[in-house]
Amino acid sequence: MLCTPVEHQISRRQFMGAAGGSALSLGGLVTPAVAEKLRKERRQVLFVWLDGGMSQLESWDPKPNTPFGGPFRSIQTTVPGIQISELMPQSAKLMKHLAIVRSVSTQDNSHSAGVDRINRGDPKNRGVVYPFFGSAVSKLVGNNDSGLPSYIWVKPLSGGFIYKDAGFLGPKYGALALGDGKPPENLLRPKEIAPEDDDERNELRKLLDSKYAAERRKEFTEANTHAFEMAAQLQKKIELFDLSKLPQKDQDRYGTHDLGRHMLLARRLLEEGVTFVKVTSYGWDTHGDHFNGAASLHPKFDRPFAAIIEDMRDRGMLDNVLVIACAEFGRTPRINGHIGRDHWPEAWSVCMAGRGIKGGVVAGKTNDKGTEVTSDPVDIGGLFHTWYKALGIDPKEVEFRNGGQPLPIAHEEMKPVTEVLA
Amino acid sequence: MNAQQPKTAPAANAPKELGKPLVPTTQINRIRFSPDGKMLVAACFDGTVKRWDVSGKEPIELPAITGHNGWVTSLAFAGTALFSVDSWGRLTATDLSAKESKKLWSVEAAHDGWLRGVAVSPNGERLITGGKDGFARLWNTADGKQIGDFEAKADVLSVCYSPGGKSVFVGDLFGVVRELHTVPGKPVRTFEAKELHKLDRIQDVGGVKNLLISGDGKTLFAAGAEPKSGGFVQCVPLIVAFDLATGKRLSTYKGANDNEGYVTDMAWHPDGYVIGTTSGQPGQGKLFCWKPGEAAPFFSGGKLPNCHSVALHPKGEIVAVSATNANSSGNGRVKGMGGDYPANTSPIQLWTVPKA
Repeated sequence: MLCTPVEHQISRRQFMGAAGGSALSLGGLVTPAVAEKLRKERRQVLFVWLDGGMSQLESWDPKPNTPFGGPFRSIQTTVPGIQISELMPQSAKLMKHLAIVRSVSTQDNSHSAGVDRINRGDPKNRGVVYPFFGSAVSKLVGNNDSGLPSYIWVKPLSGGFIYKDAGFLGPKYGALALGDGKPPENLLRPKEIAPEDDDERNELRKLLDSKYAAERRKEFTEANTHAFEMAAQLQKKIELFDLSKLPQKDQDRYGTHDLGRHMLLARRLLEEGVTFVKVTSYGWDTHGDHFNGAASLHPKFDRPFAAIIEDMRDRGMLDNVLVIACAEFGRTPRINGHIGRDHWPEAWSVCMAGRGIKGGVVAGKTNDKGTEVTSDPVDIGGLFHTWYKALGIDPKEVEFRNGGQPLPIAHEEMKPVTEVLA
Repeated sequence: MNAQQPKTAPAANAPKELGKPLVPTTQINRIRFSPDGKMLVAACFDGTVKRWDVSGKEPIELPAITGHNGWVTSLAFAGTALFSVDSWGRLTATDLSAKESKKLWSVEAAHDGWLRGVAVSPNGERLITGGKDGFARLWNTADGKQIGDFEAKADVLSVCYSPGGKSVFVGDLFGVVRELHTVPGKPVRTFEAKELHKLDRIQDVGGVKNLLISGDGKTLFAAGAEPKSGGFVQCVPLIVAFDLATGKRLSTYKGANDNEGYVTDMAWHPDGYVIGTTSGQPGQGKLFCWKPGEAAPFFSGGKLPNCHSVALHPKGEIVAVSATNANSSGNGRVKGMGGDYPANTSPIQLWTVPKA
């Protein structure tokens, strides 16, 4: 599996050379010019996944005072002419950094299939399982010399090594999932085990691993080894997970609920250089009592989403980090009998910011009731083109290779949404 | 059948449908009869208050009241004056003494956003409103002047007056009811029914969706549901009764299962029982009649699914229930034969009142 890694032009060797061969941080021995170039070339992604489907009508594409508009108002953002839902006041203040595509129209209205189709970019069927966007970026960009796993998934509930995301790239490009934002269990050496004993145990493990590997397919044993290596990398950065040491103000700004804490951890991981951080929030499938649900849920997305964009802006990280807020579909304009909104892939919205994105822009539009896209519809393949272009990866020039099989990194019949590209 | 399951109504006591349902072209949040029983009004999703003259044999639709935004969410009468509130924060008073309605006054920003409830004092001189902005506010019915303000610091879902009009009750998202004096002041009492709220993942679900006081003024009912989850909002209907004299909990009514949804509305029947509706999930909302102290309602049923409001006629013999059109359970994506995509509606059915 090969890519054409133009993105590796600033290599670890260059970095180490510039750093005089020592493993010092960018603030150390590298010249300011090289450090700046490295910083600018660092490519990262924050992918916020609102599982179940956030309503576009209560977020990025409100239709107040229309038959399906619901009870909420729209509010003016800081960009003249662009309004979003009143449930997103913090995002409205940062609109000049945001780009909204209101003409997203995708193919699947079920969670079970839709989640995979969106995450894998819904390419043409070539008899292979495509990687999730996180695995693909992990492969194409590498780990930014962060010394940390390149694809980390911060999520509620359980964690683990999620190799299925990697598709044909092979398990080592899977996600390291941090259940409830916590490091993998038993990551640290127990105090009662002396360091030298621990070393001996690891030698024994390696010996057993090699025997195990000799009898199995390489990609799976590599993944096992990779998982151990990732755990070891995290072991060196264990302080990342202790959010309590951050200023209370930060914790308050992000919120103390799961999504707030996980977004704050995401900021920390991105600051450390992790290439792809996915943050998942569950519970957005509001088929019943939707509007009370939205009144509770949307502000709990809005605050940490705006906070992390604000923080990354202040740290200059928006030059490097592509931010995406997405789900498997939007929600129906029609309000069902349970006062809920159902699944609606026909016309929904995705929001972006950061690297390669032009802020203060709305691309595409829906009709006055929000039922149909009235501009060129954008399928997920088009969004993958957009995101790769924003990362400086041209899908026309870069392709995957699965064995000897060349495979496009995004649906070859689709094109990027140029209006939102910087 | 266990003790908590609703009884099937004896045939003699079963409510009877009165005529065909009224079918407005929109969904409905609340319905109420005027105090003289001659008019039925409906707070609608399309920002109107629809009206029907129900004094004759057949209901006659009258011109709707306009001027609201978003959803009209709640209604209250004082004589021939109707007070309506909407989800953009407007409070409006309308005179309905003549066939043509006449606007008396309107406060555009009575609250910041979703105004949840409105109730009139027993003497008709004051109003209490509550909203998502976390405030409850007192108003003069005569001129719409604000005369009091209380910050609940939580989404206020429901309001009602005490029988003597000296205090008001404010129910919030977290299952707390506060009793406040009708002159500005601090809370005097708190009633807790926290099982009406659940934090499911990051979603706050439920709350005190409705408040009611018994006809003798002795009992406060806080209603909603015991939520099981957000998303679909599966929940068991729940009413918690409090003794107003002592503040202690009395009886509790809990629905049969988590498909019945939450209690969407309640009325007090002069014969000493609660008439209520439940939202249903999916499609199983009910009209029920529950005598406080009894384990189960003496009637639970009705043919209309996903009930959203109930109004008791002043004479106590007729009840109106607004529900949702057939096949509206999860029908968000369904298009008509011609590709049309109409909104759901809330048919209103009049019934004889189930007898205890």
